Amino acid sequence: MVVLATLRGYLFTIVGIAVGVAGLVALGAMSERIVRFIEGGDRFVLGQISVAGRGMGMGAGFTAGGLLPSKTLRAVADVPGVEGVQAQVMLPLNPTTSQFMTLTQELVLGMDLSVPSPNRYYRTLPIQRGRFLREGDRRVAVVGASFAASRGLDAGGSLELEGQSYEVVGVLERMLTAPDRFVIVPIADAREQWVAKDAMLRTLLASGAAALTAADLNTGAAVGWRAGEDPDAVALRIRERVAGVNVQLPSEVSGQLRSSTAFFATLTVGIAALGLVIGGLSLANTIAAAVFERIRDFGVKRALGATDLQLGREVLGEALGVTLSGGLGGIALALALGLGIDAWAARTGQQLFFFSPRLLAGSLAFSILLGTSAASYATFRVVRLSPADAIRRGGW
Amino acid sequence: MLRAEGLVKTYRGPSAPIPVLNGIDLSVGVGELAVIAGASGSGKSTLLNVLGLLEDAEGGDIWYGDVRVTALSRSAKSQYRGRSVGFVFQSFLLLPSLTALDNVLLAGKYVGAPKPESRRRAQTLLEQFGVLERRAHYPRELSGGEQQRVAFCRAMLNDPPLLLADEPTGNLDDDNATLILQALRARAQAGGAVVVVTHRADAVAGAHAVYILEHGRLRRR
Repeated sequence: MVVLATLRGYLFTIVGIAVGVAGLVALGAMSERIVRFIEGGDRFVLGQISVAGRGMGMGAGFTAGGLLPSKTLRAVADVPGVEGVQAQVMLPLNPTTSQFMTLTQELVLGMDLSVPSPNRYYRTLPIQRGRFLREGDRRVAVVGASFAASRGLDAGGSLELEGQSYEVVGVLERMLTAPDRFVIVPIADAREQWVAKDAMLRTLLASGAAALTAADLNTGAAVGWRAGEDPDAVALRIRERVAGVNVQLPSEVSGQLRSSTAFFATLTVGIAALGLVIGGLSLANTIAAAVFERIRDFGVKRALGATDLQLGREVLGEALGVTLSGGLGGIALALALGLGIDAWAARTGQQLFFFSPRLLAGSLAFSILLGTSAASYATFRVVRLSPADAIRRGGW
Repeated sequence: MLRAEGLVKTYRGPSAPIPVLNGIDLSVGVGELAVIAGASGSGKSTLLNVLGLLEDAEGGDIWYGDVRVTALSRSAKSQYRGRSVGFVFQSFLLLPSLTALDNVLLAGKYVGAPKPESRRRAQTLLEQFGVLERRAHYPRELSGGEQQRVAFCRAMLNDPPLLLADEPTGNLDDDNATLILQALRARAQAGGAVVVVTHRADAVAGAHAVYILEHGRLRRR
């Protein structure tokens, strides 16, 4: 009863803290969302050596770049240290709209399913519903979570690509990075789509000027390395020994990715710092004000025999309860707001917030730490007063 | 029971220090009711605060029995205050977030009194002062007289040997004032030492001693 009465007395304080913590958590969740996007891309490129055909295709070779013929792939496979070469075709879903400058382009990825994924960190892509592609599949697709959400797709649904109907056999788990906007199809289907999309390629094939087979139509390959090998050294070896390829060193791509996302990384730090300052100041101010408001209570309690230690322990206990209630309330408020906004944004395949466990636990710990620190400071100031002074200064 | 010698207290003024207590000597024995009267601003409340260890004097000493309480540490003073002194204030000073019963029980909390025993005693006191049926009410739901009766129960919970009352009837109607004054006298008759501060020297009938505080000095009337 006394605990409930105390918390009721602190209702406005709890609400004030909840608003501050909600701001902190919401800003943190936006920051986490950006971090996940950057980290996901970084993890992907560090897990494989990306090889593309040398050429001037848009997207610097890897996305609809120059051709990477099958004999080149075999040459890559023969380079010492290489373990596993998976041919791929990567195409913009909508070539009439240039999305190459965005970080969230929708892409078609054709994968050679006869070869296991050489990417060390993505041996398989996580499936949320349905299944992944199997060798021998045709006219089937697995779609990313954002792609599925933006088009209302689910396993068992269908999708039209370049005039052909594809059955959606699976939806990926939300990864908060590039594959969320992918359509993954068997490589044979992707090759057909490439030819359908690219008039120049059709002309070239029709002219017979180049002796190309379907197996030569690859925009790139994911290359793995043997255990114990330095991936950058293997990449350099491929660059030296195989002609007509663009080889990207994993560390180099990671650096490029980090450099291209530096703005977002800085933005993330800024958002997080802003969240900490705004949420922190709001919380510390609210809890300290709440303690100072009860200065007469403390004077009366000291008149009744409370020692500094008893009073300090009591105030800290109350501060803990209040910040915990406010912190949990703030987290609930931020979750309700964030998930509500994300539900609305999901119609266009977007997700603005990511409420990671580390963010929620960190925000709660931060709230409690700051709340009890502010309460300790205020209590220290209050207990220095004589009981008579505290009674005189306070007011109800 | 209570003995004060040479109490000196000065407040900081805007231009010069303001002397409030200028060498106060006072003795209140077991079973005695002492009244301290004086004009507004004469320092009566300050004297009561100093006697109850609610604020320190700059000079002088106070004994509770054989213990020189002015020499105790802050913590020991708090413990002494909790066990040995009951306070009754003009403005009641009940905590607004607690019910009448919880306000009374608060006095037992800091002296480590066993809870069941405190609860029994609190209910007995509330019944004795006619506010038992109001035990679940908050101070804002009580009349001034009821609040003062609850505050008196709080002051009596730990059965303190010394009771200090600062204008205890200042905000009460005649009936409630009479009830509180009777309770103070009864406390003295039961063996307690009671000090009542009031602006009217004739307000408390049956006092063993009446003192007038003027210009920082106490004189017996």
